[in-house]
Amino acid sequence: MRMEDYKRLIALQASRREFLRGAAGVASVAALGSTGVLGTMGSAFAEGLPAEEQALRKQILAIPGVGKGQPTDADFQKVGEMVLGATKANVKEGEFAGVELSFMGLNNQNLHNVLFRGFLKPWEQYTGAKISWIDLAQADYNARLQQSIATGTVDFDICEMGAPFEGDVCGKGLTSEMPDWVKKQIDMDDLVNYLKPPVGTWDGKQYRVTIDGDTHNFNFRTDVFADADLAKAWAADGGDKAGLTEWGVPKTWQQVQAVTKFLKGQKFKGNDVYGYLDPPKPWGGFGFYFLGSRATAYAKHPDDKAWLFDADTMKPRINNPAWVRAIQDVIDALPFEPPNQINADPNETGFSQFLGGTGSMVTWWGDIGSNAKTNDSSVVGDVCGFSILPGSDDVYNSKTGQWDKLPSGPNYAPNLAYLGWGVYVMARVDSDPKKQKAAWSAAAHLGGKDLAIWTAMYPSGFQCYRNSQHDIDEWVAAGYDKDFISNYLASQFDSYNHPNGAIEPRIPGIFQYYSAAEDILANIFAGKLKAQEGADQIAAAWEKLTDQIGRDNQIKLYKASLGM
Amino acid sequence: MSTAAALNDGRHQPPAYVVTAGRVNAGRWLIVLATIALLALIMVQVLYVNGRTTLGFETWRPLLYAYIAWAAALSGGLLLSRGEAGERAMFVLPAVLFTVAVVIFPTLFGFYIASLDWNLSAFDGPKFAGLANLFELFADGSYWNALLNMVFYVLAVGAEYAIAFGLALLLNAEIRARKFFRVAFLLPFMLSPVAVSWMIGKSLLEYRFGPAATLARMLGWENPAFFASPWLARISIEMMDAWVSIPFIMILLLAGLQALPREVLEAAKVDGASSWQSFWRVTFPLMAPVSITALLIRIIFKLKLADIVINVTSGGPGGATDTVSSYIYRVYRDRSNVGYGTALAMFYLILIIIFLTVLLKATSRWRRVGGKA
Repeated sequence: MRMEDYKRLIALQASRREFLRGAAGVASVAALGSTGVLGTMGSAFAEGLPAEEQALRKQILAIPGVGKGQPTDADFQKVGEMVLGATKANVKEGEFAGVELSFMGLNNQNLHNVLFRGFLKPWEQYTGAKISWIDLAQADYNARLQQSIATGTVDFDICEMGAPFEGDVCGKGLTSEMPDWVKKQIDMDDLVNYLKPPVGTWDGKQYRVTIDGDTHNFNFRTDVFADADLAKAWAADGGDKAGLTEWGVPKTWQQVQAVTKFLKGQKFKGNDVYGYLDPPKPWGGFGFYFLGSRATAYAKHPDDKAWLFDADTMKPRINNPAWVRAIQDVIDALPFEPPNQINADPNETGFSQFLGGTGSMVTWWGDIGSNAKTNDSSVVGDVCGFSILPGSDDVYNSKTGQWDKLPSGPNYAPNLAYLGWGVYVMARVDSDPKKQKAAWSAAAHLGGKDLAIWTAMYPSGFQCYRNSQHDIDEWVAAGYDKDFISNYLASQFDSYNHPNGAIEPRIPGIFQYYSAAEDILANIFAGKLKAQEGADQIAAAWEKLTDQIGRDNQIKLYKASLGM
Repeated sequence: MSTAAALNDGRHQPPAYVVTAGRVNAGRWLIVLATIALLALIMVQVLYVNGRTTLGFETWRPLLYAYIAWAAALSGGLLLSRGEAGERAMFVLPAVLFTVAVVIFPTLFGFYIASLDWNLSAFDGPKFAGLANLFELFADGSYWNALLNMVFYVLAVGAEYAIAFGLALLLNAEIRARKFFRVAFLLPFMLSPVAVSWMIGKSLLEYRFGPAATLARMLGWENPAFFASPWLARISIEMMDAWVSIPFIMILLLAGLQALPREVLEAAKVDGASSWQSFWRVTFPLMAPVSITALLIRIIFKLKLADIVINVTSGGPGGATDTVSSYIYRVYRDRSNVGYGTALAMFYLILIIIFLTVLLKATSRWRRVGGKA
């Protein structure tokens, strides 16, 4: 792009909404078209968006280009500068001179804060504000946040945080309420439904700028499940096939188990091949989600919104037959997984093993799909398929204590784990209007619609969370293979919009529950406890936690998080 | 007080210290009033924090300033009321007050925290729970499992000591490039255990591509998973920790070897003692005080083992490598259970004090051998 075209485009972006309203806008578009810029962006992708916004999106999605290696800090800055238009519409140049902000976030896999730094650098240059950074590893995040809350030492103005922590943070009045101009700037109506309020709100007030959508999906190797030799061996195998009569991608957890056991000892392209990859090693509480993904199809009944606790009493369901079956599945599968699997955490299963070519099935957040083709260490970019989480032939009904077979077939229940990352502004900035506006402007910059499509397409730690990100043509134009991306986006959006999604409980201390469970699960998976015995221990630990934190409040908040 | 010194029989005689009754009273009143003020301030703040009064400070920091002011008043009061004895007290009092502030008080406060039911997410904040945390601890299988693992780790110090002694003997001998080897052997000790966790635990010993795993496969070990089975994981962790810490024991022993009286060793040689006899009957007993000291220090370090475990195995598989510190870390960090986590730490502190006291008593005879240490 020529520099003068780029500058005009940026200037245009600054006021695109107003600009489009009038005939002058039409004239300007025509003028820009004569420069040749719009000539390159006249395709029909991202229909419904203004033409110049389509153009901008096309330009940023070419940085650095899908399949052209991992983006660098220079790319992050370039993208951050090109999407500054929305900020410019609300903030004057140099308006925040002298303002210093502190931003706390993650540095997982060199993502999150590492990208934010680049995205916000042009924002800092334009507004005059300065940002200092607090980087945390995922496993350290909960502790750091909880300590800050409990000791009243919130030493950051902006915080990257997941919705599960809203009870701990927003519920204690530590966050700043979102001003209306921010709601407009980030176009909140564009969020997918399950991320709209009550997610991001507390007592009816909006606190969160959503930057991510989270669900666990099922990632598998298309080449393994299309292999003729394995198909032949499967046909000849006399073991339990759980209804998977022909070799192919498992659709239920029963089939996942059967395939995992079958693949042990098989060869694929001359190498050992493995089936499903469990992450048994604790991961600061986050590892519990992976047992959850195995359990939701068993435990989340379509007639019952609750699945982790009884909503009226907070009595844990972790030791009911559904969860115990999921735990037993892990115990049964581990001997058929790679030899060191007991020592693998989710980071290992997703990024080292699956993307590195070990294992043929894994559940994870959408990062596997967004990294498969763009992460330098991935070897599965062309052979990676996606679906919503496997279902189950039967589902446990907590109200009747019976296993039900649904007339519609297997029960599917996507694990809407974590509800995505958001950016929150802390209440400590409220006393200084200039600082408050600066903090919200930075948050809104990161939550922008156009930035969202870029973060979904490149390794960032963030997945789709807006309806405007579901335009296949836009992904294809950016360089994605149509089948690949259709498949990937379907696994995401079908999970988000699934009628039987298992919603994350946004209750205070949720990660304490997960962490306590992880410790006992590690003992179960190491063979020190039976599944039921361990599950009973987890339930007892959870009961104690609920009493410690406050049962009545937990019940109220759990019900609210389930929309009851 | 007279400033002139007097001579008495040619010897220097310090001036007589005259402390008037008025000074004594003033000094005593100063101490009493300062103490009353400090206690009153503490009481007001406690009442304020508990919501019994609206008068108080937002933070406890003013109490720190009050303590410093009280310490100054106490010092002044002693100087006024005790005269020369007060001056002598000034040599130790600041150190005592500082120790009270940074060691004694935090320890006592730790015991107070240990008596609380305090989860950071609790709506009602901390609640006094008496000995409930202690009773919970006795029923906590994970804690006792970690303690049992500590027995293994502490026993392994014996093996570390034997290797370190061998290396120290080697470096004490007249070998080529002795100075180079002394520095080279010390290098692991200079490394951060966190770096060691990643370099060795997560890279060198990595199951799929780690060089150690590749070598093991070449040697015929089909599945070289160093952290998959309980005993192997425990031994792998111990070996990493030993690699970092053996140089520390070695350097202490080397210093001891170099301080040994040469004439005793030469006398043994003249008497016809073999190398083994010379080591076992002369060097080893003479080294007992240094050895015991090195072992005690190493055991204290070992009882705090956490970093390598947290980074490499998170205590797994199934708690097989867990240490008390790594378990407390999880209770405190991941579960925000401040009261219980502190109770675990305090109980462990008491166990360590008892263990080391018994150990010191049991080894006192050897520590005195040769050196009257």
